[in-house]
Amino acid sequence: MIFRMLRQSWLRNPRRKILAMTTVFLAASLLSALMLVSIDIGDQMAREMKSYGANILMLPAEQAALPSLGDGEDNPLAGQSSLDESELPNIMDIFWRNNITGFAPLLNGEIKLDGNHAVKIIGTFFDKRLTVPDEDDYHTGQKIISPFWHIQGEWPDDEKDEILAGSALARAQGWQAGRELTVDGMPVRITGILTSGAEEEDMLIVPLRLAQRWLDKPGKIQAVRVSALTVPENDLSKRALRDPDALDAETYDLWYCTAYVTSIAHQLEEAVSGSIARPIWQVAASEGAIIEKIQSLLIMATCAALLAAAMGVASLMTSALMERSREIGLMKALGAHYWQISLLFYAEAILGSLAGGMLGCLAGWGLARVIGWQLFNAPLKFSWIVTPCVLLLSVFIAMLGTWFPARRIARLYPAEVLHGRA
Amino acid sequence: MANAISVETRHVGKSFGSVKALDDIDLRIGSGEFVALMGASGSGKTTLMNILSCLDTASSGEVWLDGVNAATLDEEGRREFRARHIGLVFQQFHLIPYLNALENVMLAQHYHSVTDETSARAALDKVGLGHRLDHLPSQLSGGEQQRVCIARAIVNQPPIIFADEPTGNLDEENENRVLEIFEKLHAQGHTIVMVTHNPLLGNRAGRIIHLQYGRIVEGVSVVAATKEIPVRAIARQVPASNASTMAMIESVAP
Repeated sequence: MIFRMLRQSWLRNPRRKILAMTTVFLAASLLSALMLVSIDIGDQMAREMKSYGANILMLPAEQAALPSLGDGEDNPLAGQSSLDESELPNIMDIFWRNNITGFAPLLNGEIKLDGNHAVKIIGTFFDKRLTVPDEDDYHTGQKIISPFWHIQGEWPDDEKDEILAGSALARAQGWQAGRELTVDGMPVRITGILTSGAEEEDMLIVPLRLAQRWLDKPGKIQAVRVSALTVPENDLSKRALRDPDALDAETYDLWYCTAYVTSIAHQLEEAVSGSIARPIWQVAASEGAIIEKIQSLLIMATCAALLAAAMGVASLMTSALMERSREIGLMKALGAHYWQISLLFYAEAILGSLAGGMLGCLAGWGLARVIGWQLFNAPLKFSWIVTPCVLLLSVFIAMLGTWFPARRIARLYPAEVLHGRA
Repeated sequence: MANAISVETRHVGKSFGSVKALDDIDLRIGSGEFVALMGASGSGKTTLMNILSCLDTASSGEVWLDGVNAATLDEEGRREFRARHIGLVFQQFHLIPYLNALENVMLAQHYHSVTDETSARAALDKVGLGHRLDHLPSQLSGGEQQRVCIARAIVNQPPIIFADEPTGNLDEENENRVLEIFEKLHAQGHTIVMVTHNPLLGNRAGRIIHLQYGRIVEGVSVVAATKEIPVRAIARQVPASNASTMAMIESVAP
């Protein structure tokens, strides 16, 4: 009978139910869009934040005591220890390989230019095609991990004898893009002038193979800058950072299988022998903090949407109950249990919320795509987990919205409502 | 035949704040009786019917229904008693607007025990609505709606039926049909308690209990019991088609 009543109530008295369904639909659209944005914004923002540069620096283990790149006298590239270039493809073989957006090896040194004066050089990848596991056409290098590098001219080709000149050095020497230099009796062409705001501006930036030849360090590199998509750090990652071996097996697995910058760094160390990987905290921490704040903001907006929707449904259900008080009074007079009447109203609300929630999921997905295009110039990914979550939340909204007015059912006195006195 | 249910009240009183709606009501209604509760507006007849039908509770006194003291029942107990032992007919019909005639009748079965479409159809057949099963209340006339209401009241075979001004909204033809149904039910052994202020209806009951200012008045004629009602005002409310009723009212008007 309850199904019959529900069906007839929906078919023959749909006005208020459609209103409630519309309220849930609007809330579900918003919830669904916010959840999709919340889920994907980590990756999207992390990609955006990659303009800050690499967030992990790999060094030879012997130089572990030395601080990060670019700290003047403590520059680890000043050391004599090295890593093997041949192990670089291993970086793309770690558990979190899909989170590695790119990397670039570094080899530092000094050369005599045209036999006259000494110039600092740094050997690296610009946009190097590399053979890595499971990738047919993998390219990596500074072009990918240092999007903040401003090149006046063109990027050099890693396979040609082309180089970049740092802007300070070029200014001092009066060089411009297109200028040919002779190094070690070998002509090289400056394809672009680099402005990076860092020490590279005083250097020549050359393909790694040239640097290895000129510095007589075949197959060697001194450091690797790695850019990885990470999740914000938390207590677990901080504990792991202090001592991963102190974690119990379950906690270790959880940490290892989460894209913390510390766990990715740990896996990089495992992949490249004799290396130590350090998070560049200025980048990693600010990425985490910003993403965390944005996610908190989205969660607050989601909660506000939930509350507003619940209040909307409560208001509609209250007026529906007032309108149907005689119906409720009659049911009570006929001997209905409180739960039987409540069940009818809850079931009506839940059915409406499921319909509204389903439609809201679809609309929310569309909204999320629009948001993705507007903010990141790319559509946000659809996560199936959002659908059951939004449906559950829609039902929760409907139940919460029905709970307040449903309590009035218990207080309705059939003798009064049936005689129009309540 | 009806069960051996009887209605008995002992010193029943009902107050709404400082207003005494019922005062020291003692009555007995035997099993299978057709009783009319009569009185003017405000005499307390609907209040008494609400208490007798377990829709309300007395402020004082005892209400015995089929050997059960309803005054001792809590809300759940009264709900249960209503569902099992009482059929209710209302002046305003109170049908669920989105359920058809058959479904409205089955609603009473649903809250009583289980639904049985066959017996619901039989109940509607009994009140002459076997051909209107699928009609919504809005597609039925007032008389037909009241007959659906009666079918709903009898579908669970309750031993006692309470009807509150059952013909208050009906024309003469439908009034007669409804009363004929009550008379048939009475003949089948149902105990019927009907609230009315219409002397003509009261006269068709087997016994009349007069109420005045919340008390039972003995030895009062039908007309006297309703003397507080401006009779001509009643006549104005009677449909013009109900000529005989109007003539009778005119004849007793002071």
